Amino acid sequence: MLQRKIWIFAGLALAPILAIYAAVRLYPIGETLRLSLYQWNILSKNKPFIGLDNFRELVGDPLFREALLNTTIIAFGVLIITIPTALTLAALIYHRTQSRFASFYETSVFLPHVVSLVPAALAWKWIFDARLGPLNALLGWFGVAPKAWLFDPVLSLVCIIVLCAWQALGYAVLIYLVGFKNLPPALYEAARLDGASARQSFWYLSIPLLKPITLYVSVVTLVSGFNVYAQAFILASDSQGAPGRQVRVLVLDMLENSFRNYRVGYAASEAVVLLVIVLVLTLIQFTLLREKSGRV
Amino acid sequence: MSCLEKTGIRHLRAVRRSGLVVASLIGAALAGITAAQAQKLTVWSGYPEMEPFYRHVADGMKAKFPKLEVSVEAIPLREHEKRVALALASGANSAALVIELNASSAARYLNNDLLPKAPANVTAFVSDPANFSDFFRDRASLGGAVYGVPLFRGQVSLFYNLDMFKAAGLTKPPATMDEYNSYAEKLTQRDASGKATVSGWSMRLSGGGQGVAEKFWINLFQYGGSILTQTADGKWKSTLAGEAGRKALKQYLVNIHKAKTVSPEMPADAEAFERGQTAMFIRESWVIGDIAKKAPNLAYATAPLPRGSMSVPVNLYVSAKGAEADAAWAFALAADEPDNQLWMLKNVGWLPNRAGLDTSAITAAVPAFSAFVSNPKGYDLFAVPAIDVSDEVLTRVAAKLVAAFGDAKLADDDKAIDALLSATETELNEILKREGLLGK
Repeated sequence: MLQRKIWIFAGLALAPILAIYAAVRLYPIGETLRLSLYQWNILSKNKPFIGLDNFRELVGDPLFREALLNTTIIAFGVLIITIPTALTLAALIYHRTQSRFASFYETSVFLPHVVSLVPAALAWKWIFDARLGPLNALLGWFGVAPKAWLFDPVLSLVCIIVLCAWQALGYAVLIYLVGFKNLPPALYEAARLDGASARQSFWYLSIPLLKPITLYVSVVTLVSGFNVYAQAFILASDSQGAPGRQVRVLVLDMLENSFRNYRVGYAASEAVVLLVIVLVLTLIQFTLLREKSGRV
Repeated sequence: MSCLEKTGIRHLRAVRRSGLVVASLIGAALAGITAAQAQKLTVWSGYPEMEPFYRHVADGMKAKFPKLEVSVEAIPLREHEKRVALALASGANSAALVIELNASSAARYLNNDLLPKAPANVTAFVSDPANFSDFFRDRASLGGAVYGVPLFRGQVSLFYNLDMFKAAGLTKPPATMDEYNSYAEKLTQRDASGKATVSGWSMRLSGGGQGVAEKFWINLFQYGGSILTQTADGKWKSTLAGEAGRKALKQYLVNIHKAKTVSPEMPADAEAFERGQTAMFIRESWVIGDIAKKAPNLAYATAPLPRGSMSVPVNLYVSAKGAEADAAWAFALAADEPDNQLWMLKNVGWLPNRAGLDTSAITAAVPAFSAFVSNPKGYDLFAVPAIDVSDEVLTRVAAKLVAAFGDAKLADDDKAIDALLSATETELNEILKREGLLGK
């Protein structure tokens, strides 16, 4: 009887939270899935069911393919830069814990994560400016010719990757630091007694033991990489006199199809594709990084 | 039932009756107060600089509509377009609205019956050739019925720097597209290595959205071409591929890659012109006011384009019912009174659509307006078609153009240019076909 009451109480206590979660999370996802099967222009009362036609059109849409390719390059580019850099920085900061500058190191690495995106992106836009930017000035000292960072098709992608990685790094370092602080010191002591160098301890102990952290950080980084939008938008913002090459990314394409082209059903099908990609990649990461015991 | 109870029930009924009478009186009084209260009208604009104009119009209506309260909400265009879409699509808006929309954006709402037809007096006013040319009347109408009141237009002309022209030995603005090329070469300033430091002709080469395609369409029009052309059945087809398209795209490519008079990373647009970083560029009349504010000492002039200009007509539409709708339409008509139209030109810089205005005093004071308001004989105006897919068409063309501008090999390869234009044309026709708009 008591057990039943506990269950009822738990159910009632959770019900509001579950209801809110269903309303703000599950319902929009379900509605997006449903809309992807319709042709709807947001204004019309008619909303004909068209089955998978939106998805068929996506396959042949060059702008969607370009957006998908760019987004994938950005997401994996950010991942490839962020994970090893964050791991190395976290290791360096952790092994300087006793230093009186330890908190300064942590703060300075984490700062980009808390800085508002728009001013940060504008600052990077100035750094990348072909004529007035300090990056080209710096390269000039080494005899490198100035580059049109924000206009070249390849370099403009690199700019977004650098900006996103710069922002993601602080959070990744913070999580890795938590991981480092939870590693058992006895293992390192044993390794030291067995003659392992610091580099060997890092390679053969820290990295395997931090696998769960790496999994978490890589999933978060990859998912946010696939959702990139504001960075691409601001770096190419159409302000008077200083535009840049518009790097087409998936979220930008979705917004354009929804609110510029009024093709909500079509944009929903893009959102479904993005959802599937993120789910599949997350699944792959879980599979690759899962420990043999099944724990992550 | 006791006597006391009966008395109590009678008393209760009496109280109820008197309560009803009082409630009725209060209701009637409230209704009277509401009737006597001000009528409220909200103007939604997508051009923040238009706010003083709408306030000026509202002030001018005080004598005739003493109880009319007008609030103006002018926000940037893209945000404005989103709020109009959400408000009209959801039907949630209950306020009396005067909505400023360009004709091509409004087409979606008219096609979906989300904006009402104009009343008879407004229709008669808009249809009167003495008030508006056919061009503006047609772009405020759908299927022969008037829905909006033409207000102003975005129209482009050439802005050129007089000092730079003088230094290059040029005494008059370019009159043909070939002259645009030769002028651009003469006007480009270069450093010792030959790299351009001041562009001869600032062309729109990058940036987000459809601006790249709009500017290209303007140049294409000078060569006699058009991205979309109306067919005999009233539908549309793309006519991008062809001699005009090739010449227009080649002009960009030659200027970027061969003559090197301009490059994507060079400062561009009004800001560059105001700072002396470009010698000439094509833009709307709002730049005149911008120059007055930011570069008042700049020596410049304006000139019409060789063949004609893109015109983006902006109209006022109404979303209201009953007496408030009458007030809203009255506001739209007041905005078109000659005095108000001239006030808009003088103080805001957008071009009035009303016919027969005497702009001589304004053009005498600010000669740069002449190229916009006094079109040469035979000067053609064209508009982006008011069809649902206009924005999508422009976005697609812009994406192709930006990629093409970066391809130096195209500058010497007419066949490759033709193939690119042909592929784009096919893509645009597929979009038109999807929406049932493809003509024969």
